[in-house]
This record gives sequence, C-alpha cells and structure tokens, in this order.
Amino acid sequence: MMRNDPIKHVFIWPAVLVVLAISIFPLIYSFTTSFLSYRLIPPIPPRVVWFGNYATLLQEPRFWNAIVTTTLIAFIAVGLQYVIGFGVALALNARIPGERLFRVALLLPMLLAPVAVALVARMIFNPTMGPLNQFLSMFGLANLPFLTNGHWALACIIAVEIWQWTPFIILMMLAGLQTLPEDVYEAAELENASAWQQFWGITFPMMLPISAAVVFIRLIESYKIMDTVFVMTGGGPGVDTETLTLFAYQEGFKKFNLGYTSALSFLFLIAITIIGVTYLALLRPHLEKRR
Amino acid sequence: MLRRTFLMLTTSLAMACAAGQANAACSPDYSGVTLTVASQTGPYIASALKLGADEWTKKTCGKVNVVEFPWSELYPKIVTSLTASDATFDLVSFAPAWLPDFVPYLSEMPKAMQSGKDWDDVEPAYRERLMVWEGKIYSQSMDGDVHTYTYRMDLFSDPKEKDAFKAKYGYDLAPPKTWKQYLDIAEFFQRPDKGLWGTAEAFRRGGQQFWFFFSHAAAYTNNPNYPGAMFFDPETMDAQINNPGWVKGLEEYIRASKLGPPNALNFSFGEVNAAVAGGQVAESIGWGDTGVIAADPKQSKISGKVGSAVLPGSDEIWNAKTKKWDKFPAVLPAPFMAFGGWQIGVPKVGKNQQAAWDFVKTLTSPEVSGQAAITGGTGVNPYRKSHTANLELWSKIFSPQEAKEYLGAQADSINGKNVALDMRLPGYFSYTEVVEIELGKALAGQTTPQAALDTVAKEWNRLTDEFGRAKQLAAYRAAMGLPPKN
Repeated sequence: MMRNDPIKHVFIWPAVLVVLAISIFPLIYSFTTSFLSYRLIPPIPPRVVWFGNYATLLQEPRFWNAIVTTTLIAFIAVGLQYVIGFGVALALNARIPGERLFRVALLLPMLLAPVAVALVARMIFNPTMGPLNQFLSMFGLANLPFLTNGHWALACIIAVEIWQWTPFIILMMLAGLQTLPEDVYEAAELENASAWQQFWGITFPMMLPISAAVVFIRLIESYKIMDTVFVMTGGGPGVDTETLTLFAYQEGFKKFNLGYTSALSFLFLIAITIIGVTYLALLRPHLEKRR
Repeated sequence: MLRRTFLMLTTSLAMACAAGQANAACSPDYSGVTLTVASQTGPYIASALKLGADEWTKKTCGKVNVVEFPWSELYPKIVTSLTASDATFDLVSFAPAWLPDFVPYLSEMPKAMQSGKDWDDVEPAYRERLMVWEGKIYSQSMDGDVHTYTYRMDLFSDPKEKDAFKAKYGYDLAPPKTWKQYLDIAEFFQRPDKGLWGTAEAFRRGGQQFWFFFSHAAAYTNNPNYPGAMFFDPETMDAQINNPGWVKGLEEYIRASKLGPPNALNFSFGEVNAAVAGGQVAESIGWGDTGVIAADPKQSKISGKVGSAVLPGSDEIWNAKTKKWDKFPAVLPAPFMAFGGWQIGVPKVGKNQQAAWDFVKTLTSPEVSGQAAITGGTGVNPYRKSHTANLELWSKIFSPQEAKEYLGAQADSINGKNVALDMRLPGYFSYTEVVEIELGKALAGQTTPQAALDTVAKEWNRLTDEFGRAKQLAAYRAAMGLPPKN
C-alpha cells in the first residue's frame, strides 16, 4: 500500500539530486575532461584526444616515479605506524602508571595540522640552523643532507608521517584492545601460556579485523599525501620525493593542464582501487576464519 | 524647547562642516571604496603595498585590503580568479613573466598615467620593455629586479688576503669581471673550519633557483650580435637552453653550489640573504635586497662592509645563429634582469578600476616607492632614476662607499648595454618547471649538465609545439623587444 504512495518521491528525489550534483556530476565532468586536451594557461580550446592523455601518462617516467615514491611512503610509513602503534597500545592497555598522561601526550601529534608539522620538521632538518644537525655535530658527525639528498629526504618524510599518524593507530588499537574479553586470557593463564603465546594466539587474531580496517584507512590516506611533501621538499631534489597528488597539483594548478590532470586523477583512482581490492582479497581468508 | 532646538541645529551644522572638511581632505575622494590587492605573503612586497595603502588612505580616504598568498600559491590564485571573471581582486601584484598569461584579463593603463614627470622617471628598461606587451601597457613596475654581485669589503681590502690571493691566482683580489674569477674568489675564501664559505646562491627547487642559473648562463648566451636569442632562436623558436653557452653556465652554477655553506642545495633566496648578513660568505649574487639587508645593523653582522658590483661577464659568447663562440675584445657584462621586478595590474572585471589605478599611481610615486626602496624587507629595489640618483635617501642605511657601490651597481646593471631580459612567455610555469626538475638532478649529480639541458630543450620544444609555435614565437619576440616577424 505504502509502496505506491507518490509521497515517497518527495523524500527520495531531493536526496538523489543532491548526490548527483555534488558527487556524480563532478566525477562525470572530470572523466569527460580526461579525454580532452584542455589547458587554461595558455588558453587552448578543448580538443578530443580520447585516450591520448592516459597513453602519455603511462609512458611518462615522472608518473611512474611518483607511483613508486607514493607507494614507498605509504607502505613503509603505514607498516611502521602499525607496529609502533600496536606496541604502544598494548603498553597503554597494560595499565602502566601515568597511562592517562601518556595517552593524551601520544595523541597530540595527530591533532596538529600537517602543514604546521611539516614546517617544524623543515626547521628541525634545516642544514645549518636545524637542531638535528647541530646535535649530530656535537659528536663530530658531518652535516647530513636531510632534505637535499633524495634518499634522506624520503626517509625524513616517512619519519614525519610516522610521528604524526602513529597516534591514530594507537587510538584505534587501544579501543579494540579494551573490548577483548578478559576470560580468554584467564583461561590461557591457567594453561600457563606465556605472554608471547597469549599475544600471538589470542590478541593478534582477535585484533585482526580492526587491524585490517585501520591499516586500510591509513594506507588510503597515505596515498593522498601532499601537504607534508609540498612544505618539506616541494617534491625535490629533482622529482625524488614527488608524490602522485603533488604531481597532479603541479599539472593542475601550476600549468592548468586540466585534461592531463583529470586523466592522472583517474589513473590514481584505478591504482588505489587495485591496491585496496588486492589488500582485502589477501586478508579475506584470515578474516573469514575469525567469523 | 527653543534652546534644545537651537543646540541640535548648531550640532548638526558643526557636524556637517566637519564632514565637509574631511571630504575636502580626500583628493580624489574615494571614501567608502575598499580595494582588494592580491600579494605574495609578506614582508616582501606585501609590506610595500601596505606602505602605499597607508599613503593612499591618507590622500583619498579609500581603504586597501592586502590579501597575501604564499609565493607558490599566488599564480594559481590569480589565474583562477581571472579566468573565472571573478572580481575578487581589484589589483593583482605579479611577476612580469606571468604578464603574457594575464594580458587577456587586464585593463590597459589609463593614457594620462603614461606621460609626465613621474612616468619619465621610470627606468627605460622597465617603462619601455618589461611593462609593455604588444605595444600596450597593462601593468606598472612596483619593484626593480636585476641580479647584482655582493661582497664583503673588509675581506677584499685586507692586505693579507690580497697578498695571499695574488700569490695563489696571479691577479688582484677585486670584484670579479668573469665567472671564473668569481669561482676563484669563492674557492679562496672557502674556510669551513673558520665558519666562512665562498659564496651563497639559491639552489632549492621552488626557491628562486633557476634565476641564479640564468644569471650565470646570461654571460655566455646573451649575444649582442644576435639579440634576443638567449632562451630561444628568435627566428625559429627552437630552444637554445642546451647550447654550449648554457652548458658552461650550468657547470659553473654547479661548481658554485660546492663552494657554499653546508647543504647550500637547500638554499632559497631567503637563506642566501641570511648567509650574507650573517657574515658566513665572502661573496654572493642576487637581488638588491641582499645589499639592503646586509647593511642593516639590526639584521646583519657585516653592516658597513657591504660592497656591490655588476654581475661578472665573459669575452666569449655563444652565437645561436652561427653556432660558434663569438670573441669580444673585452669582457662584456650581461646583467640579468632576473624576475624583472614585481608588477601591479588592474583586472578588467574589477569594480573600482579608476580608484585602483589611482592607488597604483600613489604606490609607485617617486616619494612612496623611494621610501619603500630604502626600507629593508619591503622587497622593493630601485626602478626609478630618482631611486638611484638620490644619495641622501640611501645614506640613511648605507655608508657613503656602500651607497656609491650599491647604487652604481644597480644603475649600471639596469642601463647596461648588454642587459639580459628574463623569459616571458605564455605557459611560463610549464617551461620553468622542467628546468627546476633537471637542475635538481644535475646539482645532485644524478645527471650531467649536458644531459639535463638536453631534456629541458626537448621538453621546451614539445611545449612550444603544443602551445602553437607561431603564437609562442610572436610572444617571445615581443618579450625580447624584437619587431614582429613577417
């Protein structure tokens, strides 16, 4: 009876239109633009090039370099964030003295704006005035080229990412740890299970679903890294630390090469989707075992 | 009752008179008008705009709101606003190189402003070249930019240093005439154990790096026998950036990076100024800000010891037409108008165009701009004849010797016979981005100078074809002051 009531359109259509306007239309517009050669500066009339932008990008070494750089940052940073974050969460969950103070202090980095963090990091890694090199020189060590050598610069960016986002992992893992049932651990202790056996046999498997979700969120977020790199190195030296989003920014907002940038965004979307799907496919057997 | 009415009438009359007087003080009267100006983040340029804004407010009762963006964000913000025909900004301050991209959206300067004493006072290099695009004036210079040479007079005049230098290199220690001498001096003063290094230049990507490289290369590529061929062949629009002159310039630029403070590769112009003012280096090249900051006792350890000169040159310059080195009887300096000095323009869509141009007039008047030029941190360098002629004005910050050398270097550079103009082309950022990337690789030793510049040349030619070779050629010739090609 209710199913045929025309009033349902009054409730549904505004929502559909809003979704179309703010989500679907820009996506379609961007997808269409990716098939055009379209520059705002210098103004060149749009011209259909079909898959030309995609083909150019796939042959562009800078694009592949950005893929590798972003993947390195994402996987190394998230991997270390997870290990450190899980470790700290376990420590905080063990009700150590001053646990509340540690919890607040450890969460602070996450609350700061990435641009501010990157600016502070840039000063810390400053070659002549930075405290880190001054500290190292006290031990007779030479000035290290923190932001002027590609490998060092990448390591610095990863270090900053870890410092800022490990608190997110701590927060989520701690929440997960606090929901684990106590009786399982009591039973394990009766069986004389060691701390390592308890962790590997109980804690880790039970935390797997939340671990999978947390790592997935961080991985996707890390692929979108832009502000930290922009402030710390600007993508340099050369293009050694240029990430996909920074590459897209340079093409879109410096050169105003809109067609090419749209194609780049869609390739980025495809790459993220492949990584996401592969990640979930690899984890599925382990997660299903837990059900 | 009567008394109260009388009191009210008297008060109203008094208020009306006061208002009348206030309006009379506003000439022209722009009360109620608020102009919005886009600027890079201060203090450089933004503080000069604020200085001009205060004067304009006193004169016209109008208000000026200076909106600041980081340097790297300024171009995108202005382009987005202009291309969307959005009247966000009544005025935009910008780099001369961006003018070709902005021209379709800017209004022409009123003819009345293009004549008179103040107009003639602007140095011809700006008035007749940088402010002009295809015969029309769309903007006004509010800053003069040419690279000059800065050195420590105390070191250069020390008899011990002079003797030691002559014994080692076989010629007198003095401001260098050639880039080889510049590198010799840097090498001589490279004493890390004493906290002294040879030179400081910008080497960081996004840190004004490529202008410093262009300054080196100008000496070997700006050939008076084939004018306008520094960046491109003005007949064919073929990129010249990988010719032997440019390669030599890059080799010397890389050599300079090894004669600077530790990790000089991370230096932008700000760090160059800090190194000079901190007495860390014996010499440096850069814009006029360096001299002004280094002379300021509040900011500098070498105040009173700041010498200036025209950039080094060469007696051999590559000829892009004959593809050979031309030999000249004497060293020919090629002062490079790096960046070229900030311009200010009025978008066509602006709602207060008359007021906006009036603000430009006040901001760039000899009095206001002269004050800005001698104020450290405004980023304003001399661009008017009156700026460099008025020694008394400069005696506030310089010693007589410093002032003489600084103003001499500025005036001789701007009016130099072989002054090299910076590149101005539509799609400027597309051209300079690849230069920055390849410079970074060459400085890091990941590629050779020749290979780096070959990559740049290839990309420049590709971009030129993509943007339209004929259109780009016409624009390039206009930028270099050459007549249109038939």
